[in-house]
Amino acid sequence: MSRVVYDGAPIEYAQGDSLAVAALRSGQHPARGGTLCLAGDCGNCVAIVDGTPWVRTCQTTARAGTVVKRHPNGSHPSPGGPEQHARVAVRHRSADHVVIGSGDSGMAAATAARAAGDDVLVLDAGDGNEVIGVFDGPTIVVRTADGVHQIHAHHITLATGAAELHPVVPGNTLAGLYTAKAAAAVRVAGIDLGRTVTVGAELVAIRGEGTVSSVELADGTTHECDSVIIELGSAPRDVLARMAPMVPVTVVGPAAAAHALPPCPKEGVLCPCGKITVEDLDGVWAKGFQELELVKRSSLVGVGTCQGGMCMPHLRAFVADRSGTIPEPFTARPAARQLTLGEAAAGYHIDTFRRSPLHQEHLALGATLDKFGGWFRPWNYGDAVAEYWAVREAVSLGDVSTLGKMIVSGPDVVEALERLYPNHVHDIKVGRSRYVLILNERGHILDDGMILRDAEDRFTLTFTSGGASTAEMWVRDWIETWGLRVHVLDRTVSHGAINVTGPLAAELMRRAGVSDDDRPKFLQHRRAEVAGIPCHIMRLSFTGETSFELHHQIDGSVALWSELMELGRPLGIKPHGLQALFGLRTEKGHIIVGQDTELDSSPRRVNMDWAVKLDKPWFVGREALLRTATLPDERRLFGFTMDGPAPYEGSVIRVRGEVVGHVTSSWDSPLFGKAVLMGWQKRLPHADVVEIDGREAHVSTVPFYDPEGARARN
Amino acid sequence: MPATEIVPTLEILRGWRIIADPTALDSVTWPVTAHVVRISPDDVYVIGSVEPAVPADPYAIITPELGFAGVGLSPAEVAAVAQEHIEWPLPFMRPALAQGQIAGVPAKLELHVDGSALLLVACAARHELQARIARTLAGCA
Repeated sequence: MSRVVYDGAPIEYAQGDSLAVAALRSGQHPARGGTLCLAGDCGNCVAIVDGTPWVRTCQTTARAGTVVKRHPNGSHPSPGGPEQHARVAVRHRSADHVVIGSGDSGMAAATAARAAGDDVLVLDAGDGNEVIGVFDGPTIVVRTADGVHQIHAHHITLATGAAELHPVVPGNTLAGLYTAKAAAAVRVAGIDLGRTVTVGAELVAIRGEGTVSSVELADGTTHECDSVIIELGSAPRDVLARMAPMVPVTVVGPAAAAHALPPCPKEGVLCPCGKITVEDLDGVWAKGFQELELVKRSSLVGVGTCQGGMCMPHLRAFVADRSGTIPEPFTARPAARQLTLGEAAAGYHIDTFRRSPLHQEHLALGATLDKFGGWFRPWNYGDAVAEYWAVREAVSLGDVSTLGKMIVSGPDVVEALERLYPNHVHDIKVGRSRYVLILNERGHILDDGMILRDAEDRFTLTFTSGGASTAEMWVRDWIETWGLRVHVLDRTVSHGAINVTGPLAAELMRRAGVSDDDRPKFLQHRRAEVAGIPCHIMRLSFTGETSFELHHQIDGSVALWSELMELGRPLGIKPHGLQALFGLRTEKGHIIVGQDTELDSSPRRVNMDWAVKLDKPWFVGREALLRTATLPDERRLFGFTMDGPAPYEGSVIRVRGEVVGHVTSSWDSPLFGKAVLMGWQKRLPHADVVEIDGREAHVSTVPFYDPEGARARN
Repeated sequence: MPATEIVPTLEILRGWRIIADPTALDSVTWPVTAHVVRISPDDVYVIGSVEPAVPADPYAIITPELGFAGVGLSPAEVAAVAQEHIEWPLPFMRPALAQGQIAGVPAKLELHVDGSALLLVACAARHELQARIARTLAGCA
């Protein structure tokens, strides 16, 4: 015989023993007590196996050296450290027909399906395929020795059989209680059960200290014993059938057979997983929770290890007795078996974060990268304030490759853009550009960006980094809906973009070979080589300084960045990250959609009515704006200044103690020597002085910096 | 040689992108050497550096395309990637272009008659996809 370690002590097991049987062989209950089914139905044998808690020891074969530890008495075990939740491989499989359960009814169903020409897969826990959930799809999730399998099936047959009922009487948590099949299995294993009593519905109580010593029957007799064998009948093993009511499954065999409910329990633990007693249920019933689902939710009966597999018949009998109506079973929740976090996460991935073509350049420059708008982006290069001053006083580069970029072309392109945007589009001349908002049908801001006219019937559109994907779907959906003749090509990942910004930006462009004639003026754009790289040069500004956005094929990004950094060295060039950029644009009062706006922010609420031309006959959101224009609107985005350190974004804004909004953007301005911020006031009358972070903040006109825009136009 | 050194790697591909009227694209005769991926009825991706023919559509968008990274997969690699990283059923017909998430990353799979495939992904996400399928591909090496 080999040995496993059970609660610190070595015990011997026979070949083929489960851990539960090995424990019984050594004279111990595998957990702490309760009726044993040894069929995987109940939670009365769960323990910590090799560090993993909630393992059904009756379903786990004993192997030399396995370490088993009982769950702590009266509390739950720790979920364990990362070593217990290692990544688990996932396998995707498919089959026409999956049969769960390989008993007689399951094999009959499989045979019939194969005869009909189906590709059939039979799953049975006894074969190492433990089904832990049935989901929409339908998808069946199975735990196996080589990881988690996700099986995509067209049809599912459940042939899971029936589970033997456990008794609900005083003393039912003692050791020494077995269902009839469990007792038979124990005897087959050669384990002596001692003096046994076989009982059914006549059982009234079980007596003993830790282990059973006698039973009391309805006729008033008491019988001394070492083990009690329970014969109360069975109930459908239907946890999987109850798990996905929307998934079409066929239930066959004993799992589908009608089973009479047991008598209403009077006393004792009804839910062995949660140790919930009949008295507990009476308590919630008295409080008015008088439906099966309400009893479940208020008492947590049926939400434990076995998901109601053991207690459901007794619970239904309880509710039927109290209400006079037999309730339908409640929905079971995945998983039917306890999982490690690694198993639960098998096959799932966190969101993809994209890399700019300049990713390695940023790392080489010492950038701290952050995840923003679906991209890895430089947060700073070590000194955000120095980066800020490079923009305000010299020249700086920013990687804006992440911006959404799109080409639209076609005979109906002007019509399409006039309908999509609230600005006029037809009057944008070739070579000129315009800042635009994108609104949804409710007139709320969806995104913003630029429209640049390349030809009479061709435009380049830009969007925010985080909004680009949504904007692309938005543009495509509307054009298709309207049936307009417009071609659309998303260029977001195939084009890089570098923002050259600062009062010396024009000088750097000159040094990079762009003549004064080739350099576009503010809100103009043109194509020219910059440092030998073909670029679409867009003249606009987010920082408040002269800016040139250089859009180019991504194979030129590294060369263009490197050359500009080299050429700009005598000019004091530094790259800037998002931290500095967000401060620079806050000083200019430029909003970031999604940060300064909310889901229902209209142009009026962010003081951008100027970007909406209601004299247009139609655009997406126009009706909503016209309708709401006459309604009172308390919400406004304001600029504020305050002394001391800038408060955290998200800080509460109060007026006379009342919460009126929150800070959306916040920056310790090196230029102004105080905090400049934007935030919402959502109560009338709007106050000139508010309280943020326990300090006074004063409403300020926006932009804070260069309100005439002279520096950007320079 | 360690398996990781012979794992196929997603490389940025040079090509052209043509967005045009579907009927105009249908009438184009592509060079026999061109590797043409019909992404959608109005969208063609031509892999290679030769400037493609212009379809009969005055509004067509024709532009160099460097936005894709790709790698050729053997039939065994296709099967392994599908089994471990693709939740959706692959099309039965070959050749075929399948599009969906692979290991959680939006990607395209050009499935060939011989069971091999060209895996395409936006170049900005190639590092992520490469990392997620590397172990699977290493298992095929």
